Amino acid sequence: MIVVWGALNDPPVSNVLDTLRTRGADVLHLDRERVAALDFDVTLARGATGWIALDGQRIPLDTISAMYLRPEAQRDNRVSSTTACLLAIASTLDTVVVNRPAAGRSNLTKPFQLAAISNAGLRVPPTLVTTDPAAARQFVVRHGRVVYKSISGIRSIVAALDATNADRLSGVSTGPVQLQRWIEGIDVRVHVIGKQWFATAIECTATDYRYPKNADDMMAILATEIDGELGDRLVRLAASMGLLVAGIDLRLTPNDEWFCFEVNPSPGFTFYEDATGQPMAAAICDLLMNGGASERRT
Amino acid sequence: MIVIIGSRHDSVARSIVAALPTAALCSAEDLTRPGWVWSVDSFEPNRWVVDGNVVDDPHVTGVLVRRTYVYPEELVGTHPDDREYLAAESTAFLIFVLSRTGARVVNPVCDGALGEDVIRPERWIATAADLGLDVAPLRLTATGATPVPTMTTTVEVVGDETFGDAPPHVRAAATQLAGALGVVYAVFVFDRTQHLITLSAKQLPSDAALAALGSLLSIRSRT
Repeated sequence: MIVVWGALNDPPVSNVLDTLRTRGADVLHLDRERVAALDFDVTLARGATGWIALDGQRIPLDTISAMYLRPEAQRDNRVSSTTACLLAIASTLDTVVVNRPAAGRSNLTKPFQLAAISNAGLRVPPTLVTTDPAAARQFVVRHGRVVYKSISGIRSIVAALDATNADRLSGVSTGPVQLQRWIEGIDVRVHVIGKQWFATAIECTATDYRYPKNADDMMAILATEIDGELGDRLVRLAASMGLLVAGIDLRLTPNDEWFCFEVNPSPGFTFYEDATGQPMAAAICDLLMNGGASERRT
Repeated sequence: MIVIIGSRHDSVARSIVAALPTAALCSAEDLTRPGWVWSVDSFEPNRWVVDGNVVDDPHVTGVLVRRTYVYPEELVGTHPDDREYLAAESTAFLIFVLSRTGARVVNPVCDGALGEDVIRPERWIATAADLGLDVAPLRLTATGATPVPTMTTTVEVVGDETFGDAPPHVRAAATQLAGALGVVYAVFVFDRTQHLITLSAKQLPSDAALAALGSLLSIRSRT
């Protein structure tokens, strides 16, 4: 049994589900409503044992061979206790889990994750997190052009700033702000899936390609190649974070230097797959159906 | 300086600050005051804001974390529309700071988690099991929690020291698990069969444990 947890209207979830079902896999789909109806009796000790049940079907935990997690936000308390149980199962079950809940936590604090990326030997942009307007202005003066972005997992539109509008930095005194040296170059999203990787180049004139301001920003999304040494490093980076699947954001400068910005533990890979035809859902399903050692991280 | 990270409404945090001569409280309000400077792959010297004062990181010797999140309701000086966002940002920032400081952190961040989340059951149960320690199984059911044992033994661990009336092998188990989890202070609760039920760093340490904690946190562990 493979458990897929997430909303049907979420393209990565529906693609994984469709692919698994096409291949004849035994799948249990959970979304917010079905989680609310879930019954369970689970014991955590040396691993997780027990069962979950839905629609009269009891599923022993030892029959779950893999889990794919991309859950929606949960709201009421009844669901929260069930959600906590499912997360505990996903944290402790000795099987393939894409991805363990704890493995994704570093993405909730971007500079913390950035330091981990740097420690893993990948180049990252100089980054300052501050509530000090003077320090922020000095950082802008030193680097000429910077971007500011959210620190937490709350998605923000990355925006650029330079010395001509540095007066806006007085606002940093009311709460921490993350500033990062602007890196010129082409965005490359690399999806690591197990030991494979899929590289996709995004050519866009907007500061944040996810939010092009107008049609003139001319976004092109193309399958590309990265050298094997970089690919292997990215596989190791994802593995070091306990991630079987990751969407890693990089930029290739005109001087052929790679900078790494972020490791997304629950990537919306369909945005890239739909544009390029790169078979990421199939690779994820290979992982879910055929296994591969999944390091337990709780 | 010893920094206690917690709410101004946290009576335990206030008691610890009162008991340790060099301790000061770093509150949610401090996280939204000017002066913080922390960097990655850049040159700026790291700085805290503690009880309204800017403090260079090398002057901070030890840190005790008494919160898992910064809550929107704590940010009374922020416009209500912005509190939720700023609370998430402040929590993320705090995790980053605690992962970078050269001070000894009693309950260091792990996997991007903070405070009691660092010693959440999924983590300590698995770690204890890996060490071969006896753990009381934690049962989760849709109908509610199972009863908590009433006869318990408590061990306070501060670094390599233990406090409480538990037998030596129980103290040793607690110390071993604290070391594996990377926590400097926690209270470990065992049932009558000496199986570990839970652990936490939320309670006010005993006088002896607090004195040991104060000594430990007065020495900076990293440079």
